[in-house]
Amino acid sequence: MNQNSEIQDTIVGRDRIHVVMFFLSMLFMVLGIAILVWIVKIQLTYKVDDRVIDLFRPTVQKHIEAPVRGRILATDGRPLAISAPLYDLYMDCTVRKQEYIQTGKDSLERAWQEKARELAACLSAEFHDKSAADYAKAILDGRARGSKYLRLQKNLDLATLQRVKTFPLFREGPYTGGIIVEEHEERIYPYDSLARRVIGYVKEQNRIGLESSFDSELHGREGYEWRRVTDNKRWVRDLDSAQVKVQDGNDIRTTINVDFQDIADKALRAQINANEDIRAGICIIMEAKTGAIRAMVNLSRGNTPQTVLWERENLALREVGEQGSVMKTVTLLSLVEDGYVKSLDQTIPTNNGFVPNYKQDVHILDYQRETGRRDISVMHGFEISSNYVFTYLAEQHYGKQPQELFDHIYSYRLGEAFDFDITGLGRPVVNRPGTASWSKTTLGTTAYGYGLSVTPLHVATFYNGIANKGRMMKPYLVESIEKDGKVIRKFEPTALNSSICSPATADTVTRALRAVVEHGTATRLKGAKLPVCGKTGTAQVVLQPSERGGSTDPYHDAMGRKKNQGTFVGFFPSDNPKYTILVTVYSYLSGKSFYGGTMPALAIRDIVDKLYALDGEWDPEIKASAQVPVMEKTMEWEKRVVPDVKGCGLKDALYAIESAGLNCQYEGMGHVTAQSPAAGNKCDLGETVKITLK
Amino acid sequence: MSVFSAWTSFRNTMRSLRNGEFLLRIRADKYYVHIMYLFLLMWVTILLSLQVDKTLTRVGDNEIALKTLRIHHAEKEAALVKLKSASAAEIRLRELGSPATLPDEPATIIKSR
Repeated sequence: MNQNSEIQDTIVGRDRIHVVMFFLSMLFMVLGIAILVWIVKIQLTYKVDDRVIDLFRPTVQKHIEAPVRGRILATDGRPLAISAPLYDLYMDCTVRKQEYIQTGKDSLERAWQEKARELAACLSAEFHDKSAADYAKAILDGRARGSKYLRLQKNLDLATLQRVKTFPLFREGPYTGGIIVEEHEERIYPYDSLARRVIGYVKEQNRIGLESSFDSELHGREGYEWRRVTDNKRWVRDLDSAQVKVQDGNDIRTTINVDFQDIADKALRAQINANEDIRAGICIIMEAKTGAIRAMVNLSRGNTPQTVLWERENLALREVGEQGSVMKTVTLLSLVEDGYVKSLDQTIPTNNGFVPNYKQDVHILDYQRETGRRDISVMHGFEISSNYVFTYLAEQHYGKQPQELFDHIYSYRLGEAFDFDITGLGRPVVNRPGTASWSKTTLGTTAYGYGLSVTPLHVATFYNGIANKGRMMKPYLVESIEKDGKVIRKFEPTALNSSICSPATADTVTRALRAVVEHGTATRLKGAKLPVCGKTGTAQVVLQPSERGGSTDPYHDAMGRKKNQGTFVGFFPSDNPKYTILVTVYSYLSGKSFYGGTMPALAIRDIVDKLYALDGEWDPEIKASAQVPVMEKTMEWEKRVVPDVKGCGLKDALYAIESAGLNCQYEGMGHVTAQSPAAGNKCDLGETVKITLK
Repeated sequence: MSVFSAWTSFRNTMRSLRNGEFLLRIRADKYYVHIMYLFLLMWVTILLSLQVDKTLTRVGDNEIALKTLRIHHAEKEAALVKLKSASAAEIRLRELGSPATLPDEPATIIKSR
């Protein structure tokens, strides 16, 4: 029985387990089906709640930090270009409008509008560009219209922005005041147009000047870091993620002297403004010893004389053209260096100004008439800038071997676009012997400045070589690259040609250049505060076909008008040159002629006189005529008599010595047996008396 | 393990929880020090994490302050430099009606023998 009942219990127990397991399996099956249905439903119908997205959104964000562009500095450290952000101010006029309408809080809406009027009054008082009513109308109309991005101001500086943020409504922040501020990095040029073509700019794809040439140094390197949100909802650096530190751009120290640039700019402006026919003018001031460019002015007016003078194009670097008589110095230097002209007083026949195949030089006829002479010295030919003299000399000495003169021209670096700190230096055009452009007259015209097209910088560099006793320095604009005031790369002066001529030749040509100022075509510079020597040059500019109006003459249009360029180039002080200077003015199409001895010379005189007063180099010194008196004692200290303390005890001895105004130093015990100095001697106040006690 | 013994264990656990004997029943007293140490570590970790957040927040604020100062400095420098040019000084002197102009002669240097 018992056995049967046990079997029965076992069967019942198994059945119960089977039932439980059945229900469990059914339960899991139902759950599985429910999950499947749920998945299908999610896939087809579920829309993700924003709060859920927030939960799944990564809590770190990549923050890219733009580098601060490096500064461009003048030679004395004054900034020529700085980077600083500017701010555009916008307003979301619709801020909280819906909320006020939905909750029926008309009083809040009225209060907001009242504050908007106060804000308008403050904006009007700050910017003075619109009345308070206009500002209020713009804001309230924008609110009515639903404008979320009303532009109020552009390019505010930080100080102004901070003031604006304290105005009514805006001080309540973006969620109530609707203030929107957009920051953008801007380049500030403190001196406006001063040296702007040298400094240049970077605007999207347009890049010019030093800003372009040294962009890789100035730009710096972008950095990034990952940021996460703290419990206080603040974004902080995520130290667990990678980080690349931003590297701000390096500073560039140029050779530009702001005062020189300012003086040159002003002097040139004065000359150009005085004459409506002048289209443009340039000035280069170069340090003779180093080739450092201290000023480079490029002023031009644009297409009509009415336009404002501005640094529009870098003519000093890019205007390749025939320079006229300033190139006679090239011929003279070559003749002297080759020994064909042994003395400047050497004479040649005048021949009524005729050289076969060339136009007659009428100046020689005037010379013959005035002097009655039939010969002319090389010096005088140079002074009066005679084309005949230089054509004659070139034909006589280089006629059989013209290449000899052109070898000189190439050695003066007048046939190449040498490396320069700003890209785009114009490539000279040289009509060499043996080329298609060579003709019977090319040698002679080259000798007096036509047929050879170079830039003004080439000319200034050549003259600087003469000023520097034959050592032709490479012109440069950048002295060093700096980081946080520390020089990381320095550019030393380098020579383009260490000897274009001997020092003696340079001295001879300098004498000729001095004579041009003293007796020749540049007498307007005579009596300048520093002695200047140099050469004038006047050239007619080859006209573009579109400018000629059907004329076949490359230098004149159909109405006989021409474009002139007048140049003076030289150096000062002539006895010990410190600076080389070049001024060129370019005219519009005009019936008038412009000479290097007029406007350019006057501009240079103005510049030289001002530099003389400004540059400490020429400060006069006065030797002091009297010795500075040496301070002497004017009061005798009262002498103290040493008292006799021998035999006294220490207490009495101390009293006696110190009462006499003396110090006491003692050794031993008992009574004073010795003292130094001895009694009766005179000592200075506070001197020490030594006593010995036994 | 049978369902019954699992149920028994669950029931005993519930009873010990009700009677406040659970930790003693699982002999947690043996690991009391370790548990306290774990709590300490967790507390220190949380505290340090909060301090790091606080410091980083301050670093961020200081960076903003430094940037603001840098911008101020750049703007002031530009404004001052503009006034420093000879032309600007001349114009300002003229506006103020001053007879002073740029010097015509260089300064004289006095040197003692």
